[in-house]
Amino acid sequence: MSARSAAAWEAGPDIPATHFVSGLVYTDETVFEDEKRHIFGKTWQLACHESELPELFDFRTFEVAGQPLVAVRGGDGRIRTFLNVCSHRGARLVQEPAGNAERFTCFYHLWSYDTAGACVDIPRADGFRESGLKQEDCGLRAVRTETKLGLVFINLDDGAKPLDDYFGESFKTFEPVMGSGELEVFHFHRAVLDANWKAWIETNLDLYHELMHVTLRKTQVAAGNMEDRQFYTFANGHAEIGGVRANYKGYKGWGGRDAAKSLPSLDPDDLLVAQVFPNSTVLTRGTVMRIDTVLPLGPDKALLECRGIGRKGDSAEDRLMRIGHHNAYWGPFGRNVPEDAIAAERCDASFRPGAARHQIIARDEDGHGQDDALLRNFYAEWGRLMGRPAHNPINQPAA
Amino acid sequence: MSAEPGSVERLIYESCLRLDLEDFAGYLDLCAPEFTYRITTYSAEIRKDMIWLDHDREGMQALLENYYDHVRRLGSLHRHVAVYAIDRQDDGLFRVTSSFQVTHTDLEGQSKMFAVGRYHDVVGESQKGPQLHRREARLETRELGSGSHLPI
Repeated sequence: MSARSAAAWEAGPDIPATHFVSGLVYTDETVFEDEKRHIFGKTWQLACHESELPELFDFRTFEVAGQPLVAVRGGDGRIRTFLNVCSHRGARLVQEPAGNAERFTCFYHLWSYDTAGACVDIPRADGFRESGLKQEDCGLRAVRTETKLGLVFINLDDGAKPLDDYFGESFKTFEPVMGSGELEVFHFHRAVLDANWKAWIETNLDLYHELMHVTLRKTQVAAGNMEDRQFYTFANGHAEIGGVRANYKGYKGWGGRDAAKSLPSLDPDDLLVAQVFPNSTVLTRGTVMRIDTVLPLGPDKALLECRGIGRKGDSAEDRLMRIGHHNAYWGPFGRNVPEDAIAAERCDASFRPGAARHQIIARDEDGHGQDDALLRNFYAEWGRLMGRPAHNPINQPAA
Repeated sequence: MSAEPGSVERLIYESCLRLDLEDFAGYLDLCAPEFTYRITTYSAEIRKDMIWLDHDREGMQALLENYYDHVRRLGSLHRHVAVYAIDRQDDGLFRVTSSFQVTHTDLEGQSKMFAVGRYHDVVGESQKGPQLHRREARLETRELGSGSHLPI
């Protein structure tokens, strides 16, 4: 055993190509640009939870692949999404993160649009008559919008397959939990990370990193049910983890969780995880749920959006209990989310200057324990969409 | 109640200094047995008030005792505080409103703004002098990067 030469370090591990990832997937500008086009421009992306648009004319603004978007519940109750751009001079149409409006009026020249995206008013419209510009041709750019289990998804690609086809057989474990219509968002925070977006995803798909978190060492690893854990992979890059149990009393200062307060169909000590390819993860811990979405801002910068979800109609006491359970691990002052962010950033700090060259995803425990199967599944789909293998993304340019 | 506004103001500053120094025992000494602590903010995205940390004194003690077991943001936090108002209430307690700015300094000595907000404190008196009965750290800043294992 010895340290390696530069050539050996560059060559990477002598293991199957599916079991390691080149550092260039995190740092290369052409990879980043192709990800925006081939992945974020083509796949279904989480916009929000339906409970964020409870009333007619409620709206939410957000971004996907750098594109500004606004989702709005119209007067007919349907949620639609548009590019958040005025058809006239291209100004950002809606500025607020959320609100309620029957019309969107651009601040610049006061062009107005209804919640179905039609242009409904152009001040002093006669001035455009000579050019032949017609108001009915000045609607907003509609973006495909569909919902599943209370989650609102959009797709920038008008030709994309329907959302249900995209999910396929995945996410069925969550149907009894999320299909009840009884859930609502109570927590939202954003965090800009000095890391590639995939470094965050890896923290969600890699159970081996339980060893980093003292909370998980004491509540999950110590529970010792590694063989009960089951990893499932699905078409289109989706994945699920089931069978993980937590003994919350294992961490000093934490108590147990009341079965009567669990989310529908869950035991209080269950941990279920679903990865919605490419960039959203749903985690439930019996009494509470977290959904996070990570968006690329640059090769080494990512925007993380985290939601906490509980039961609609909770008593004040139960809501506080759920918030407490959420904040124990998650949120900006949770015990785990800051650690995951730090892990992503410390990997980026090594890959960015080229010091780190490869990442190893070679654990194989027959789909149990702390298997890397979900990471390999993620990078297989990533490579398929990008037309580049993750172990060697530059030598084989995108088709 | 014999405490004076000056001693109440010193308590607010002392509480920040103890946390800056990571003198957790010293910080807890400033907190009454009935102490409660919250970090709150308003989400413009979901249009709801949020609670990001919520503990009683016992919970704070456990959180602070576990702190060094965690993988955490390296460097130090520095709380710059200005006490705006100290109002003695009919119940004998003081309501104190302060502004804070928290900066983070990394191991290389680079400082960056971490968060701004206000403390809404309730202060009572004990034989040891003024003590914190309640602290709400109300954040204006909602984007906190990798976050923090420490209270504000």
